[in-house]
Amino acid sequence: MQLDPSFIWTAFWQILRAIPTTLSITAVSVLLGFAIGTVTALVRLYRVPVLSQMASAYVTFIRGTPMLTHLLLIYFGLPMLIDGLAESLGWSFRSVSIPMIGFAYISFSITAGAYMSEVVRAGMQAVDRGQVEAAHSVGMTSFQALRRISFPQALAAALPNLANSVIGMLHGSTLAFAVSVVDINAQAQIVASTNWKFFEAYLAAALIFWGLTVLIERAAALIEKRVGAYNRGGVA
Amino acid sequence: MIELKKISKSFGRHRVLQDISLSVKTGEVVVILGPSGSGKTTLLRCVNYLEKPASGEIAVGDFKMDCAQAKRGDILRLRRKTAMVFQQYNLFRHKTALENVMEALLVVKKMPAAEARSRSVALLEKVGLGGKLDEYPSRLSGGQQQRVGIARALALEPEVILFDEPTSALDPELVGEVLEVIRDIAREGITMIVVTHEMGFARDVANRVVFMDGGVVVEEGTPDDVFQHPKEERTKQFLRRITPEANWVI
Repeated sequence: MQLDPSFIWTAFWQILRAIPTTLSITAVSVLLGFAIGTVTALVRLYRVPVLSQMASAYVTFIRGTPMLTHLLLIYFGLPMLIDGLAESLGWSFRSVSIPMIGFAYISFSITAGAYMSEVVRAGMQAVDRGQVEAAHSVGMTSFQALRRISFPQALAAALPNLANSVIGMLHGSTLAFAVSVVDINAQAQIVASTNWKFFEAYLAAALIFWGLTVLIERAAALIEKRVGAYNRGGVA
Repeated sequence: MIELKKISKSFGRHRVLQDISLSVKTGEVVVILGPSGSGKTTLLRCVNYLEKPASGEIAVGDFKMDCAQAKRGDILRLRRKTAMVFQQYNLFRHKTALENVMEALLVVKKMPAAEARSRSVALLEKVGLGGKLDEYPSRLSGGQQQRVGIARALALEPEVILFDEPTSALDPELVGEVLEVIRDIAREGITMIVVTHEMGFARDVANRVVFMDGGVVVEEGTPDDVFQHPKEERTKQFLRRITPEANWVI
């Protein structure tokens, strides 16, 4: 079979329409994952009894199992849970009304949460203890010290790793095809299914992913530059 | 007026502070001296509860607390009456000099921004940093950072300022500017407890010198008493070791 360069272009345009799906999965999983990850990291850092053990178990289980497995567990497990609950509580809601992409949102958020909790934790540990003491010494509560002093700096320190997580989730979102969500990759497969020019279609998909990744990298670099301005030393 | 009564503190099995009592009058400058490991920094940190004393009583102004049963509210009130200047400055690194000083006024005192700002500017001018308001700590020298730290401590108008070896981390040529600022504040009659190794400075600003060793107060008195006529053998040893060349010692 011969390479058909013009079909790369054709496929490219047809795949573009799947971008919103891919981006929405990425955005939802990153945002929810960040929230989950932050709570998880703080619970572990502050050694909250019971919760911190649960948080550790969550992180090791999720990081110890593949993302595709999470999706399948949620896809098959969640309906059982929901329908069982609904039946016993007399709700009319049934799991069939959950859209397929909903399973991707939920499971990828859980995946991202575990990875991002480690990123946030590392960021928090990068802030020196002395500044927290200084915040306490002027009468701030622990929560004020966290919100005003350590967390903003932890975020700044964690930015490069957070950007990596976003890229990881962008690429990981291709797994959503397993629950019949048509993301960029799945769209490439569909486009090629009529003429069997899979290589061209996947190449177009790769170019799109690459472009999106470069955009994320650029954005991250810009944010890093702004947020990290306080770190550019002059004298000391 | 600061009153510490029978403060005790252990790290593991090591007793760092053994029933220490110390009282500081309003406007008094007390310098605590002692070899490293004597517990002087720990004592200072107990006063604003960065270390939790195992037992004892702390009174600052009209506020009094029993350390053995300190509640969160007590700790906050104590901290709002005291301020600390740290050896490593501990400035908030993501905030400018001005923001560092304003922070507690805004967050703790809930002061309106304009008022907090004008007060902080005045304080930074006082420590000679009127031209560095918008610089981040990473762009300030150690001496400048420590002066911001002093302005930050002054901002809350605490009843006492605690200085924890404020010049120990500085390059020798920067020590002078920081000591000068502390000296100025001392002259204004602000109550201070200072842990330092700067003997000349101690002699100069202190109303009273406290010599600590092994978690207890070995000797205290006026600078003349302690430096010229130390009574205890341990004090003499320490002074001889730390200032072998100084002609005013012993």
